[in-house]
Amino acid sequence: MSDNTLISIKNVHTHYGRIPMLIDVSLDVHKGHVCCVLGANGAGKSTLVKTILGMVNADGGSIAFEGQDITDWSTHKRIAAGIQVASASIGTFPKMTVETNLRLGAYTVHEPKVLAERLEEIYESFPILKSRLQQKAGTLSGGERTMLSIARAVINKPHLLIMDEPSLGLAPIIVDEVFRVVKRLNQHDNISIMLVEQNANKALSVSQFGYIIQKGQILFAGEAEAILKSEFMQNPIM
Amino acid sequence: MDGFKKSLDTALGVILCNIVIAVLVHLIIVMEFVPSMIIMVAVVGIILVLDRFGVVNAMFDAFIHHKAVAIISGVILLIASPISLGSQNYAAHITTTAIIYMIACLGLNFQMGSTDMTNFAPAAFMGVGAYSVALCTVKLGWSPWVGILIGILLSVLFGLVMGLPTLKTKGYYLSLVTMAMQLAFTQVINIMPALGGSNGIPGVGRFTLFGLELYKRYTVAGIRFAPQIPYMFMCLAFLVGLTYVAMRVYYSKSGLSLNTIAQDDIAANCMGINVSRQKLFAFVIGGIFCSIAGSLFAGLDSYVGPETYSFSKSLMLICMLILGGMDNSIGIIAGAFLLTIISEKLRDVADFQQLVYGLILVIMLIVRPNGIIPKRVRNYCGITKRSVVRPAEPQKNPAE
Repeated sequence: MSDNTLISIKNVHTHYGRIPMLIDVSLDVHKGHVCCVLGANGAGKSTLVKTILGMVNADGGSIAFEGQDITDWSTHKRIAAGIQVASASIGTFPKMTVETNLRLGAYTVHEPKVLAERLEEIYESFPILKSRLQQKAGTLSGGERTMLSIARAVINKPHLLIMDEPSLGLAPIIVDEVFRVVKRLNQHDNISIMLVEQNANKALSVSQFGYIIQKGQILFAGEAEAILKSEFMQNPIM
Repeated sequence: MDGFKKSLDTALGVILCNIVIAVLVHLIIVMEFVPSMIIMVAVVGIILVLDRFGVVNAMFDAFIHHKAVAIISGVILLIASPISLGSQNYAAHITTTAIIYMIACLGLNFQMGSTDMTNFAPAAFMGVGAYSVALCTVKLGWSPWVGILIGILLSVLFGLVMGLPTLKTKGYYLSLVTMAMQLAFTQVINIMPALGGSNGIPGVGRFTLFGLELYKRYTVAGIRFAPQIPYMFMCLAFLVGLTYVAMRVYYSKSGLSLNTIAQDDIAANCMGINVSRQKLFAFVIGGIFCSIAGSLFAGLDSYVGPETYSFSKSLMLICMLILGGMDNSIGIIAGAFLLTIISEKLRDVADFQQLVYGLILVIMLIVRPNGIIPKRVRNYCGITKRSVVRPAEPQKNPAE
């Protein structure tokens, strides 16, 4: 483990009832990197996200974030420490306006001045949202909603942004847009990202490091280019 | 219609609005049963029609724009209205009851309206406050003010106890837990002789303020006022203060987080909201409101009994909330007012009271499930003094 490890997951086990979901998973995300976690449906990707967020208890193993052991922390404490999530399953609030959604993303920001600055920054980098501020989030299109959930997650300037299947259910042209945003957030805003995806080619094209997860176990870990060249990419389930 | 909305959005328009509302409220209170009902139905109908054209929202905006004028004229009318009741005992009694129910409904709203946790035990919380006052004044001979304070403390404890299951249960199961608490509360009081049993405790001490008796006939400037009038002023003061608190909470981060939990508590947790703490907060602050209402109720009736704080009273409070519109303080106050007046004026035909409740609820849920004055879309631009972000200009329709 080098000094620039942001989050380090060590030998984590998780189970739903008696069914094991994660078996001895170890994973590191480095500062400034995009690290992708690839896997088929039911491989345990979402469980991994929930474990990092603290919504599922890890039994055995440890999770360290910026050098602190957060294994036993509650979810809201982890969020306050700088982990944010943009996920298809953790949706936007459909009955609230876009602005309220954004303000909720910055729930842990307490000074109104800082909040106003953050909002302005978000409007600059997500101009599509600015024209929809007073609209209810439920009336947005799928792509706009994904953008909103990303904007809501980055408004808080997270140290680690976890993106759970951002391309889920979107048209190819919008998927490209989403991955452009991911790249910009990483390179321009210098946010470390853990990208959990099924779309392996797209995800690897923006990330430096990757993990392949299958049946709750890490199958392969390596540089993004190494994975692209490996035999896993020929595997039809990828 | 647009011209009308524009003319509303002036200081004069706001004052006129206030006066019209005050006159209508006054008429509904003092009229006989039939004309009062006719006015009430007409008012509700007009509100519903006006809302179609967005006038109700325009009124809210006008009141926010001319806050100072609205508050000052409102306070003057509030002070004038009890005086206008003069010597009419019954009207004064109804109005005071309505004010107390408004306070209780504001409390219930924290759980039911904001957080979407249907609490079937607001009457039990009221009972905690009422019995505190009763026991303090009758058994211990203390001032009822001490009773209010003890009631608040007890209701905080009760709220925490009631809130704990909410951390584990959701939806219908949570409602069942609160229902059980409500029924248990009534049973416990029934079987405990120290709490008066099923006979209740008569002769609860009246409130006094700096030696001034608050439940007494006063003759001022030749008018013999109804005995409830001074007490009504005190309840009004409580109502104004607590409405302010409720609105502040609604617009605060806490209020926002309660709404968020209502929509999706997992996502709320991912925004960094401490869901369990906020749920407990909703129960505790709602409990305090209800407890104060109960204490005031005990002071008005000078009697507490298990039947007054039974399950049916809880149902009535819930009906008020549904009728008025959840999560909008003004709507809640309107709902509590209308339903109190209806039920009090129906005293002559008490057998039909429950039937009328049911009828109102069914009609409301069909015609307007969100209540008469439903909650508004949260809008930060008008509320904060200096708007942080300017709202997007509404796009003009080229056809216009």
